[in-house]
Amino acid sequence: MDSFFLWLGMGLFTLVLLCLYRGVFGPGVLNRIAGICAIGTKTLVILLLMGFIYNRVEMFIDISLVYALLNFIGTITVAKYLEMKGEV
Amino acid sequence: MTRVTDDIIIRAVARVMIPFIQLYALYVIMHGHHSPGGGFQGGVILGASFILYLLTHGLEEAKIRMSEIKAGLFSSFGVLIYSGIGLLCLILGSNYLDYGKLSTILKVVPAQARSLGILGVEIGVGITVMAVMFSVFFDISTGGELPEDEE
Repeated sequence: MDSFFLWLGMGLFTLVLLCLYRGVFGPGVLNRIAGICAIGTKTLVILLLMGFIYNRVEMFIDISLVYALLNFIGTITVAKYLEMKGEV
Repeated sequence: MTRVTDDIIIRAVARVMIPFIQLYALYVIMHGHHSPGGGFQGGVILGASFILYLLTHGLEEAKIRMSEIKAGLFSSFGVLIYSGIGLLCLILGSNYLDYGKLSTILKVVPAQARSLGILGVEIGVGITVMAVMFSVFFDISTGGELPEDEE
């Protein structure tokens, strides 16, 4: 089962790289924000998979909760900043 | 950044989520010596909940809950708890922040006194970090200009 989680994590890591490409080179600000948010959710799942691999999922679930929370607040902050600046 | 948003979805989601965020922050502070976390991390989460409130409900409503003056008072109060516990240990005749001696006034065994002492220090650190996080965000988002009713 561990190798299954490992391969799942590696697959998600490739998706993170694709999202990172969109975040760095993406045309426009909104594409970059969407890319970074997608990286956040994938990192959350990768953290949980690491917890399953190391058999300490109760420890990693705390970290991933905080990660999801800060991702949410960061997205709202950037969106509100763009709304105020009016340059989308 | 501190204007009221007129988006009903964002406001409703924030109103539902903020109590759970604060409860989780208290869990992280209290559970810091068994799981990842502690005073600083819990304080950051607690500050994030106030920042979310300020973002979604605007400056005027947020000042009722947590104003700049309250944030300053809280940040000093947390440091007071931290250094007070340390000085209490010093007064009781051991080293600074050596919680074992607290057992004489807490009426418990020294191991339990150490656990309670580190918990008090974590609470102080959490309060300070929460207030400083909120204060930094407040100052950045208002451009350092306080509103006219608070000098």
